[in-house]
Amino acid sequence: MLKIGQWLQEDGFMKVSKVMSAQEAVSKFINDGMTVSIGSFFHTIAYDITHEIIRQGKKHLTICAPSFNEHADQLIGAGCVDRVVSSYVWMEVFGPLYCFRRAVEKGIPHKIEIEDYSNFTMTLRFLAGALGIPYVPVHSLKGSDMMNYSSWMGENKVKLMKDPFGSGIEHTLVPALTADVGYIHAQRADEEGNFQMWGLMGDAPWSMWACKQVIVSVEEIVSRDSIGRDPNRTAIPNYKVAAVIEAPFASHPKHCQGYYGVDREFIFKYIHESRTEDGWKEFMDQWVYGVADREEYLKKYIDTFGMKKFLSLKARDMSSGCVNYGF
Amino acid sequence: MSVNYNDFTLQELMTVAAAREIKDNERVIIGTGLPLLAAFLAQKTHAPNLVAIYEAGSLDCKPIVTPFSVADDVLVPGAAMQGGLLEGLGMVHNGDLDVGFLGGAQIDKYGNLNAHVIGDYYNPTVRFAGSGGSNDIGAGCKRTIIMMIHQKKRFAEKVDFITTPGYFNGGNERELMGFPGGGPSVVVSTMGVFRFCKDTKEMYLESYHPGVTVEQIIANTGWDLRLADQVRETESPSSELIRILREELDPSRVFLNKT
Repeated sequence: MLKIGQWLQEDGFMKVSKVMSAQEAVSKFINDGMTVSIGSFFHTIAYDITHEIIRQGKKHLTICAPSFNEHADQLIGAGCVDRVVSSYVWMEVFGPLYCFRRAVEKGIPHKIEIEDYSNFTMTLRFLAGALGIPYVPVHSLKGSDMMNYSSWMGENKVKLMKDPFGSGIEHTLVPALTADVGYIHAQRADEEGNFQMWGLMGDAPWSMWACKQVIVSVEEIVSRDSIGRDPNRTAIPNYKVAAVIEAPFASHPKHCQGYYGVDREFIFKYIHESRTEDGWKEFMDQWVYGVADREEYLKKYIDTFGMKKFLSLKARDMSSGCVNYGF
Repeated sequence: MSVNYNDFTLQELMTVAAAREIKDNERVIIGTGLPLLAAFLAQKTHAPNLVAIYEAGSLDCKPIVTPFSVADDVLVPGAAMQGGLLEGLGMVHNGDLDVGFLGGAQIDKYGNLNAHVIGDYYNPTVRFAGSGGSNDIGAGCKRTIIMMIHQKKRFAEKVDFITTPGYFNGGNERELMGFPGGGPSVVVSTMGVFRFCKDTKEMYLESYHPGVTVEQIIANTGWDLRLADQVRETESPSSELIRILREELDPSRVFLNKT
């Protein structure tokens, strides 16, 4: 048995590497029927993990996020999803998401159920789940039809309660949301799973704190010492994290602050091609089913669009100043 | 050849009309598209001290190019603060913000908005995005500016689904709900500008856009539309405002050329 002194003589920390491939992480930690929190808001979305879930043909998932983009559309189109808990499934000014619409309007590939909330109430549901608070009183949703219509959650979707502190006002109560597993992309992590994010935090870290365990894909794996030099930036610590995947460019076509920007043409391409089922299938054959992993995707991207286009997505250097953590 | 900015498109007119609604020193939560341009235009002209907030948690940003999205990475460097949804919409929910922008697929005469479905909720003819932050913005902002495409099916007697409440059935119904926010103050549509009666909270026509008649607006509205005592034409934007919009804010016509 190691003594404390011996530990400190090493480097002060016990190391357990959680680095693995997306294939291994998805097959180990995401099972059919799970409730999955998919982290981030337009930025740092883990397309690598999303595509691996599709390739492995996971089924009957309940996917949760305040706002969803094409990643949810692709999961829905591929038949991985039975239920959606969210406030928004669309691609902003780029346009609608057609697999989502086909599923809701026509039951293609199958009907999905939705629990509609607002962005803030979804975030609060995660916050409550993260902190172990059973429910949150809030002004949002009150009087809207989101109070009157629910799917599988029935009366437990949202409730109205008279303020017990005597204001005379009725408040909306939204229940805590916890997930079996969460996944997200981040700028960097160490091998043990401590991961750091910056820029647009979106629903993070709460959407990930609210999960039993987290899979993170990162632009770079860094040393534990690098993490410790700026611990305020850590979104989620290692004990929550089950797997770390090194996957540069894994947020493409979305952005990752400090690494690359949004690929608008590619998003428009997806939306345009997914207008028909056949067009969507062709896109997926090319960019999801037709590549083994993110490395192949990246290679295919450069082969298809050229190095110049790829480099045009690269972020400018706008590094922050350092702060003194001295004591 | 000198460029002429005396002509303007409908989108430009709407953007300018929305920008006029924002006062200096106000805190404004900004949505994508025309609202984003309207807020930037206000900041470049009569409201230099406007504080722009985005629901992704960016505050007082100094973007070097016009952002494409409310979660654009260009918003981050130079911002006074960058948080997440909890901060961005928390500032809305606590009543700190003066103005929010809203839109939707349908609106009724009390400013209730639908961004969810056309038809039955469970088996809709058309499914839209859902609330996003709209419901929160409607609940929390002191007042909201609504921008709408004006068609009879969109200006409906009754919306198919209330995503974001306006004044419910009018009168003091909204007041009784105890929201931090006061409700919609104006609707800028593709045909005119509308406000809400102080007591009944019913929408009425304040001005029609150049080239549009009051009769056309009435014909394209799904209820018996009330008119202001003196309905006038919407003020045309100055050539300088059009120049700023085209040359400084949207030079690549990301927003302004969309129909």
